[in-house]
Amino acid sequence: MSCDPQEIQAALQTIPWFQEIAPEYFDKLCGISSLRQVEPGDELFREGDKEDYLYIVLEGRIAIEIFVPGRGRMRIYTAEPMDVVGWSSTTPVVRQRTAGARAVFPSRLGVMEAQKLKQLCDEDHDLGYVVMRRVANVIASRLLVTRLQLLDMFAHPTEEMKNE
Amino acid sequence: MSELIPDVGTSFALQKKELNKLLASLRRLGYQTIGPHVENDAIGYGPIEGIDDLPRGYTSEQDAGRYRLVYTGHTRYFDVTPGAQSWKQFLFPPRSSLFTVRKTNGKWQADEEDQPPPTYAFVGVRPCELSAILIQDRVFLRSEWSDPIYRLRRQSAFILAVNCLHPCGTCFCASMGTGPKAETGFDLSLTELEDLFLVSIGSEAGRMALAGLTIQPASAFLLQAASKGLDDARKHMGRTLPDSKTLPDLLLNNLEHPQWDDVAKRCLSCTNCTQVCPTCFCWDANDQPNLSNDYTQRVRVWDSCFNPDYSYIAGGNTRPNTRARYRQWLTHKLASWYHQFDILGCVGCGRCITWCPAGIDLTAEIAAIREGKVS
Amino acid sequence: MTTQIAPTSMALTPTKPMWPYWAEIVNIQSEAPGIATYWVRYLDPAVRKGYTFRPGQFNMLYLPGYGEAAISISSDPEELDTIGHTIRSTGSVTQNISRLKVGDVIGVRGPFGTSWPIEQFKGVDLIIGTGGVGVPALRPVIYHVIRHRQDFDRVVLLYGARTPKDLQYTREYEGWEKAGIETMITVDRADETWQGQVGVVPILFYRLRMDPKKSVVLTCGPEIMIRYVVFEALARRVPSSRIFVSMERNMKCGLGQCGHCQIGPYFVCKDGPVFSFEALEPYYSVEEL
Repeated sequence: MSCDPQEIQAALQTIPWFQEIAPEYFDKLCGISSLRQVEPGDELFREGDKEDYLYIVLEGRIAIEIFVPGRGRMRIYTAEPMDVVGWSSTTPVVRQRTAGARAVFPSRLGVMEAQKLKQLCDEDHDLGYVVMRRVANVIASRLLVTRLQLLDMFAHPTEEMKNE
Repeated sequence: MSELIPDVGTSFALQKKELNKLLASLRRLGYQTIGPHVENDAIGYGPIEGIDDLPRGYTSEQDAGRYRLVYTGHTRYFDVTPGAQSWKQFLFPPRSSLFTVRKTNGKWQADEEDQPPPTYAFVGVRPCELSAILIQDRVFLRSEWSDPIYRLRRQSAFILAVNCLHPCGTCFCASMGTGPKAETGFDLSLTELEDLFLVSIGSEAGRMALAGLTIQPASAFLLQAASKGLDDARKHMGRTLPDSKTLPDLLLNNLEHPQWDDVAKRCLSCTNCTQVCPTCFCWDANDQPNLSNDYTQRVRVWDSCFNPDYSYIAGGNTRPNTRARYRQWLTHKLASWYHQFDILGCVGCGRCITWCPAGIDLTAEIAAIREGKVS
Repeated sequence: MTTQIAPTSMALTPTKPMWPYWAEIVNIQSEAPGIATYWVRYLDPAVRKGYTFRPGQFNMLYLPGYGEAAISISSDPEELDTIGHTIRSTGSVTQNISRLKVGDVIGVRGPFGTSWPIEQFKGVDLIIGTGGVGVPALRPVIYHVIRHRQDFDRVVLLYGARTPKDLQYTREYEGWEKAGIETMITVDRADETWQGQVGVVPILFYRLRMDPKKSVVLTCGPEIMIRYVVFEALARRVPSSRIFVSMERNMKCGLGQCGHCQIGPYFVCKDGPVFSFEALEPYYSVEEL
């Protein structure tokens, strides 16, 4: 866990989105962020937890998992460097985590307190707009991946075949 | 006496009965003489011996989804437009054997058909049909390979073309530049006037076939009568398909035109049009094994883009409905074909219009697409 | 348009192009459930000596009594004594090929189609996005890259499968990495042992840092996957003339003659299966064309 402002700035600057926003927004977001190192197996959060933090993967791999009774924890997605984990902490409707997150590899994460992020956005709506647009993109990307997984595009055809 | 036979490229007059001698000569040379005759209340193509087998005195009334063979008692032998059959069935038979395969001592061996291909003399090929044969030449005979079934029948085929003086209700060869006069590709061609044939010699083979016939010079009057007759024919086509050069762009730029939905409501996907069309060339190959699977015949059969399995791939069908299939057929025929073979696939014979049970007329469909077109 | 094949030595007789050429199955390698690679050697020594193919081309495999199937050639284009075909059993021909044994003889006609234009792009970053049944058509490219690694700058392989068990050529991944191919593997669904990525191939592309000005994208797989890989590539401003896709349609002759494989004016067996997206674009998004 690191709260060193310079280290935080240097780490977040490797993420393209942070490079693109206005410097004053970048400073404000760095102000509510910290860095965290996790080892394989470390849990970030579990299903049902309150959402407290938003995570940005800097290095490593975080698995998103849903527990299905009888089948155990199903790994449905892996977050790689530059991915956001725990975006639901920024959306008002969802009240608790719908999935769990666990480190697969030793990973380095940027961590933002959701409450503080909300406060920043409430105080400065322009910053809020920029943040929400980013969150919308994250969700859109996640939705697309989920849809393509749902289409099961690599499945063996099941209809009756002819010739070929 | 070859010095009495005119040169290739010239014309002469022939008494109609002399045609019998020509057909006999051709048969002596080994040709099967095939020509139009009446069968099943329609004009079909089959073996003919002499002019008495020809459909003298008949005309056909053709319209969208309508065909009537009518005997009017006129004195002309060839003056009736074709029926459903075209010459395609001889050069590209509906069913042929590619090879047979036998398993001997665990090894497969392929054998060819040992029957020699037939030698045909096509008597009475209309200009549109001749254009269709020249189009199919581009399909089946390529520089990198050629289809042996087509090639062996085509290279030995003798073609006696007949120009059209009385097109029917579904004809539009003039729009497509394929008629009513045959310009090239024939051994002999004739225009039938009241008492005489005006014959043109198209090749050396055509010239040689005239040995022993009594020929007369073609008078200026005769040439004029033929020319006028053909001009009249050009003006009395049953249909038109104007601006054919613009068709490739028109169709490929209007693949989502609402007219496709409209025609899909009427089309039965019955494949009649592809069967009667003299240029359609799609085929399928399948194996016909014996029960112990140590012998199989690999057979080539006509296929149609309207058949449901035509566009089947593992996991689904890329053209799963009539709208997609009709669009494929028409767009191929009048647009893609041009990109593939440097020529349009339609010769304006009108068969697809006549023999469509739903009476779909591609000239009307094109007109509708032009109306609401994009760009 | 992509490179047309030059007249190479072929297992094809110009005067009877549907005539079969017999080849013996010399090895069968299981790759994944329902998928195996069949290595064949032509019986005729003259054909064995003369036959060549380019990455992306396919052969028509003939099983007497059942018919022919178009199968991508998945082996090394510079190792021509035996030719490899990775086959997934789907229809009656491929299902019955999967019952054959080493020593059995089948007909092999080809090669057909256009090839991946890797020779015309030197010094580029090659990005390969593939998955499922698309992988075999790109493996010859990987062989080529390994042999001619200095011809390219970065080489990235993005490969997706349905589950970890469905991954093909797993024994070779380490060799690919060692040869300097950045290999990123993902699955749609994980199992308990999987520590790799979970997600779809397009997301691998989305995350990739790349320079569109020097990238060439090759993609082959289910059409849905191709579509989204192409979207990503275009969104990253790779010009459509440098995105190449391999298409699949019903193929019966391989010659551009039987008509079945048409997409718009193209015969997939002759003008493809490899197309530049630029050439394919006008017809690609027309549904049911």
